Amino acid sequence: MLDPLAGKLLHYMDLLSARQKLVASNIANVDTPGYKTRDLDFQFEYLSAIAGMGPNVVEASDLATKNDGNNVSMDRETRLLAETALRFNVAQTLLKGQVKAVRAAIKEGRGA
Amino acid sequence: MSPISPIRHVSNTIAAPALGGRSAPGGGDFGAALASSIQAVQNAGTSAAQSAERFLSGEGEELHQVALAMQKAELAFDLFLEVRNKVVSAYQEVMRMQL
Amino acid sequence: MSLFHLMSVSASGMGAQRKRAELLVENLANAETTRTAEGGPYRRKDAIFESREQSSPFSAVFQTAVDGQVQGVSVTDILTDTREPERRYVPGHPDADENGYVSFPRLNPAEEMVDLMSATRGYQANVAAMQAVKDMILRSIDLMK
Repeated sequence: MLDPLAGKLLHYMDLLSARQKLVASNIANVDTPGYKTRDLDFQFEYLSAIAGMGPNVVEASDLATKNDGNNVSMDRETRLLAETALRFNVAQTLLKGQVKAVRAAIKEGRGA
Repeated sequence: MSPISPIRHVSNTIAAPALGGRSAPGGGDFGAALASSIQAVQNAGTSAAQSAERFLSGEGEELHQVALAMQKAELAFDLFLEVRNKVVSAYQEVMRMQL
Repeated sequence: MSLFHLMSVSASGMGAQRKRAELLVENLANAETTRTAEGGPYRRKDAIFESREQSSPFSAVFQTAVDGQVQGVSVTDILTDTREPERRYVPGHPDADENGYVSFPRLNPAEEMVDLMSATRGYQANVAAMQAVKDMILRSIDLMK
């Protein structure tokens, strides 16, 4: 019923919430010795669009490792936390806009 | 006798163009206007959807461009709805008129 | 160039200032350290900042050409002080040499404190920048509601 944009938005939001879970676990493990930062290749997962299967979790590259083997960068994680939440907000607003448009067509501009 | 006849001529000349205005040329103009406004709404909606899809794929579409495209599409649709409703109610009123 | 990309630039600034603060705190803690694992007194450490292109994990591959104009910062090197250590006359000290002189780290705690304040200010400034960018993004989202 809703056009293909709604399907893409849902897929985008699925990936965002998966990523947010990884960011949260990274932040929780900021002091764990030997813990490596986990992430998912967002662009690749979004464009390959294989629904139903969970996204592949990979180790983030290009991060400095501390003496205890932990390589979590607090700044990277807090920034990803904020960016993921904001992008989720954008996608959610777009999806609401789609639903509103169909509803407006149904009401045909009559009533409130 | 003779001063009265020019008034009849005037009323004849007034009646004919008015009737002519409401017949075929008027009807054709209105249909074309409606079709073009439907097309405009369609185009606005498509470009808004494309803008959003480009943003999602990370192709460098700016957030405010997406917001603007979405608002334009919504505005075009709302305007079209209003015009359509006004036209329909005007048509219904004309139909209700006792001839 | 996307607003979201600006956030990663601010985050790189925060990370760089934090690394600098780490080194300054280490310097302050070791201001009187006369023996280290490598032998000799503690040598002061300094961070070298370098501007570096920030790639966003959300962007497509062909976007980095545009984003490259905005530079983030990264700590590329940690410079260890190579100056001669300060020698003080403390004859009874276990690390004293045959003349009674002990090598102490050559650093000025007042300087380190001032640098630490500057690193803190720098960190706060980057946090404020990120807040400002977040605010802009939220307002753009409001446009769509």
